Amino acid sequence: MLPRIKLGFALLTLTLIFAWHSTANAADNATKTLETGTFHGKVHQTSGRATIYQQANGKLVLRLTNFKTSNGPDVHVILIAAKDADDDANFLKSATPRVELGKLKGNEGDQNYVIPKGTDLSTYQTVSIYCERFNANFGAAPLEKF
Amino acid sequence: MTMGATSWFSRKKYVLAAIAVPILVAAWWAFRPEKLWINVKVNEPAPFASNADAQPLYTGLLTGKAHPTSGRASVYQASDGKRELRLTDFATSNGPDVHVVLAESGDAALQSEFVKGDLNSIELGTLKANQGDQNYELPDSTDLNTYDAVVIYCERFHAVFGVAKLEKF
Repeated sequence: MLPRIKLGFALLTLTLIFAWHSTANAADNATKTLETGTFHGKVHQTSGRATIYQQANGKLVLRLTNFKTSNGPDVHVILIAAKDADDDANFLKSATPRVELGKLKGNEGDQNYVIPKGTDLSTYQTVSIYCERFNANFGAAPLEKF
Repeated sequence: MTMGATSWFSRKKYVLAAIAVPILVAAWWAFRPEKLWINVKVNEPAPFASNADAQPLYTGLLTGKAHPTSGRASVYQASDGKRELRLTDFATSNGPDVHVVLAESGDAALQSEFVKGDLNSIELGTLKANQGDQNYELPDSTDLNTYDAVVIYCERFHAVFGVAKLEKF
């Protein structure tokens, strides 16, 4: 009687481990779309879409599509801890916390930026195209859950 | 006399140049005015392993009209060309004869909570549930440039429960 129960337990455990393993893997092998939003900016004509993807390895990537802004000196892509931002907003003056994603690769076209590990997306809710030289927000995209 | 005036002037010219040139260079570096008409274009691929999965074409957020309605409406295209509307994080109030339709976002009828007469729309089906993620097939002929709004519509009372304007993904 006892060995049979033991065998039953062993089989049950194996089945559970297998089930857990396959669901965990199934959920992990695709890129997920986490958040998206559209740019607004009139002073420096900014438009397009910003989307945050989570890759299979857990890495977060920001992708800009149908994107267009005005070219300028020392323009960066940043995430800011705010719900939205006005044209020409100065985040230095307002002491808005930010995460730097890199220099703007092009003022037109589709482009990707890696989001640093540990970035809390519930805090950093808006993408800003930001001119570091003059501390001016060219355009902002408030992100919403996809 | 004239010689003296010329040399004085040319010396002043050098002093002026010595001041003006660095200022002009600094101003150019700060403003980079040529960037106003020089564009930099990029075209990076999407961060997916493959494009075999259905890709989102349009998306928009639902806002409530006659009844509180929330969530996201997205149109996906599968690799075989078929398009589907997907509602996510969706919630509306339950009601009689509620349908999911596509309409023109500029249609004046959508401005009010109740439509007088008939709403110019494309039927996608009866609302499957008033909460939860759900998919609706789009007829092949649907022109999303014209019919660019998802409407949760109660046919019985011509009530607009909620509208989502679709924007390019």
